[in-house]
Amino acid sequence: MRRRWLLGLAALALALAACGGDDDGGGGAGSAEKQYKLTLIQGVKGDQFYVTMQCGAQEAARAAGATLDVAAPDEFDASLQTPVVNAVVAKKPDAILVAPTDTQAMIPPLTQAKQAGIKLVFVDTTTENGAELAESEIASDNEEGGREAARTLAELTGGKGSVLVINVKPGISTTDARAKGFEDEIKKTPGLKYIGQEYSNDKPEIAASKATAALAAHPDLVGIFGTNLFSAEGAATGLRSAGATKKVKIVGFDAGPKQVEDLEQGIVQALIAQKPADIGRAGVEQAIAALKGEPVQKKIGTGFVVVTKENMNSPDVEPFLYKSSC
Amino acid sequence: MSEIREVPPAGTQEEPADRPLQAGVQGALRRRLTETTTWTFLILLGIVAGFAALRFEQFATVFNFRNIAADASGLLIIAVGMTFVIITAGIDLSVGSVLVFSGVIAAKVMLALGGEGWGAIGAGLVAGLVAGLAWGVVNGVLVTKARVPPLIVTLGTLGMALGSALLITGGIDVRGVPLELTTTIGIGQLSGVPYVVIIAAVVTAIGVITLSMTRFGRYTYAIGSNAEAARRAGINVDRHLIKVYALSGLLAGLAGMVSLARFATTTIGGHSTDNLAAIAAVVLGGTSLFGGIGTVLGTVVGVFIPAILQNGFVILGVQPFWQQVAVGAVLIIAVYIDQLKRRAQERGERR
Amino acid sequence: MSEPLLEARGIVKSFAGVRALRSVDFTAHPGEVAALVGDNGAGKSTLVKILSGTLAPDGGEIWFEGRQVTIPNPVAARELGIETVYQDLALAPELDPTANLFLGRELVRPGPLGKLGFLDKAAMRRQTNKAFADLGIGLQDTGAMVANLSGGQRQSVAVSRAATWVSKVVFMDEPTAALGVVQSAKVRDLIRRVRDSGIAVVLISHNMPEVMELADRIEVLRLGVRVARFRAAETTMEQVIAAMTGALGTGEVA
Repeated sequence: MRRRWLLGLAALALALAACGGDDDGGGGAGSAEKQYKLTLIQGVKGDQFYVTMQCGAQEAARAAGATLDVAAPDEFDASLQTPVVNAVVAKKPDAILVAPTDTQAMIPPLTQAKQAGIKLVFVDTTTENGAELAESEIASDNEEGGREAARTLAELTGGKGSVLVINVKPGISTTDARAKGFEDEIKKTPGLKYIGQEYSNDKPEIAASKATAALAAHPDLVGIFGTNLFSAEGAATGLRSAGATKKVKIVGFDAGPKQVEDLEQGIVQALIAQKPADIGRAGVEQAIAALKGEPVQKKIGTGFVVVTKENMNSPDVEPFLYKSSC
Repeated sequence: MSEIREVPPAGTQEEPADRPLQAGVQGALRRRLTETTTWTFLILLGIVAGFAALRFEQFATVFNFRNIAADASGLLIIAVGMTFVIITAGIDLSVGSVLVFSGVIAAKVMLALGGEGWGAIGAGLVAGLVAGLAWGVVNGVLVTKARVPPLIVTLGTLGMALGSALLITGGIDVRGVPLELTTTIGIGQLSGVPYVVIIAAVVTAIGVITLSMTRFGRYTYAIGSNAEAARRAGINVDRHLIKVYALSGLLAGLAGMVSLARFATTTIGGHSTDNLAAIAAVVLGGTSLFGGIGTVLGTVVGVFIPAILQNGFVILGVQPFWQQVAVGAVLIIAVYIDQLKRRAQERGERR
Repeated sequence: MSEPLLEARGIVKSFAGVRALRSVDFTAHPGEVAALVGDNGAGKSTLVKILSGTLAPDGGEIWFEGRQVTIPNPVAARELGIETVYQDLALAPELDPTANLFLGRELVRPGPLGKLGFLDKAAMRRQTNKAFADLGIGLQDTGAMVANLSGGQRQSVAVSRAATWVSKVVFMDEPTAALGVVQSAKVRDLIRRVRDSGIAVVLISHNMPEVMELADRIEVLRLGVRVARFRAAETTMEQVIAAMTGALGTGEVA
């Protein structure tokens, strides 16, 4: 008796979940146009960069009368993103916007997606063969972003001392490009010594410990460039616990709420904000263009905004701060 | 081996206090029907039927099931080993870390031997398996000789194995694994069945046979049920436990090889919850955390329930965070049903 | 009287500085029930554990069939033909009666499968059913977990396990302690049958009426030493109890 009741409850829960899904990006238009089904696969759950991207994508989907749902792995790792990709492919959307978590490891499941007739658009990161696999690759010009970070840090530090890069892990196209751009540009300031890059594996705790370790090893450390959200956030935490926030300037990449707070409190001095909403929007636009058979832009580079404490509330900077929810 | 003695038979008298149990066959059938494995299997079928009803063309395809099986193969391999460990009333929290460590060792060996060709691949795979086996032996020895509880021992080796892997790699995944490994075993198929699924299936079959039909399996159950009784019966409990933990480590190493083959990188960051997922799978399958009871087939069901839930939820478009809530809820419901059934069975047999 | 089958001479055992056995002697003869009695803390269970190989003595000698032996572990005891029913039964609750009967002595399939350790479950089941029938145990569902049996049935399984495998000496530590009247009678029946087939039965019991009813000889332990030996037919319960509590002086009554 009780058992049947419980099974019924379980079935009810499943049914509710079914109703609860697919609730994003419902398109309005009652036109004769086909309503396209899109899915966005983020790099990791709960990262404000990807949330902001989702917001932009949803806006564009709504405007185009398409539906967009979202899926993401628990960690930024290919072994966890692969089952998500496989399940999305089974769903047979018309197109997938995806941020591949590894330039190599994600090739097999994404190839399977393409073979199933689904159009792919790579947002933010890409794979080694991105140009063949995807209709379009949309990302910030990350090398330029790295160069911008170098210029900003040179200015902030007065051009003298050692500087460190805290990167994520090798094999991510975007952050590798940022580190490269930084390295190239920082050479133009002879007074600054580039001591190399450390990896945070996208974990704030590791970034924090790398920052404090570098501080101990290089007492003349004056600047850190964190190549992504968690790396910069972690570096700030490390400096805070070492009491070195006045001494060392941080330029971060990405403008999540926590980093904006750090900016306000003077722990981080500048943020190179990408425009993830633009990336998401462009991703949807290119996907729909590809589905309609219209011409597609193979590569789109979105821009940056340098955010500082002084300009963060101004009308041309404020809209570009990352959101925690849409 | 001493012979069974013949004692002159006496008349059997039914006494009122000793109510007769149901006749042998009837009892066995009743037990089979009410076994936990049967119930969790029904839950699994229910979930599959539910998703199929909601999204038939998307969910109920060979393509989708093949991917689900391939994605679950690593966890299944680990969970088979975990089944043996938990049946001895032990636990192994180190499996995810051992998986990563084995992958790192294998990748480093392959690269050191030139980074291409089946010779390097073979040597790397063997090195990875040996690494997993070694951690398993460490666990077994600490549990039996140092008499430290398995929870603590394997929590320690969890940290040591992962820490060692991070030390060796500097925290970054090892890349450049020979391509042949990935294209053949990693993503290749044999008549439509992915090689990784075949490997997992073979491991499962060996596990089922060993646990249910051999002396090794019988000793595993006996030690979990009453280790002291096993000792007094002449079973070398310490040696057997070391073998069981070694098996768990070896299988974690094998899962590491499978992961390396599929992803061509060591995926250090992706295995921090493998241990809990394996334990949940084993418990969902009807194995008791207190030892003495459990089956490998139950574990198979337990592996696929969360795997299919995750797959179905993505297809339905459920928000990612709800998936974790749902999987946790199913775990509690399934174990609760098992408890109800067990109590009913006890009442029935004592009646 | 026949030669002693098993003899303990001057056994000494201490636990953490406490002398449980100060110098214990004990004899068991074939075809005889020897009761080992004594108050709590007299050392009965300790002596049984030493003679069954579970514990090692600190001093003293063990003689078996006229030779001096050591019994370093339970397997060694088994090989001598000594079986034990422990006070805690030493059954595996999640295993069925067949598995418990054959615990540590599993039958394997003939041939190469046997070398790999494949169990011959059918043969074990057959032999168990026969053993239970021979011993008068009414267990109809031998597939049930021992944990789901009643206390009396569990005791029967433990007793019949020892009775099935024993060839020389069987120790039974409080075999009817938790049983009801009818079940106790069945176990006592079983003990008599085992004795009648030539086995030396050593019975440890608090139950004085049972001891007087079953035993052929009674050996009394007090504070780690044997203080008295009686022939059951030639003594009374009061005398035995007096020896246990120290009211009677040491006396050897052959």
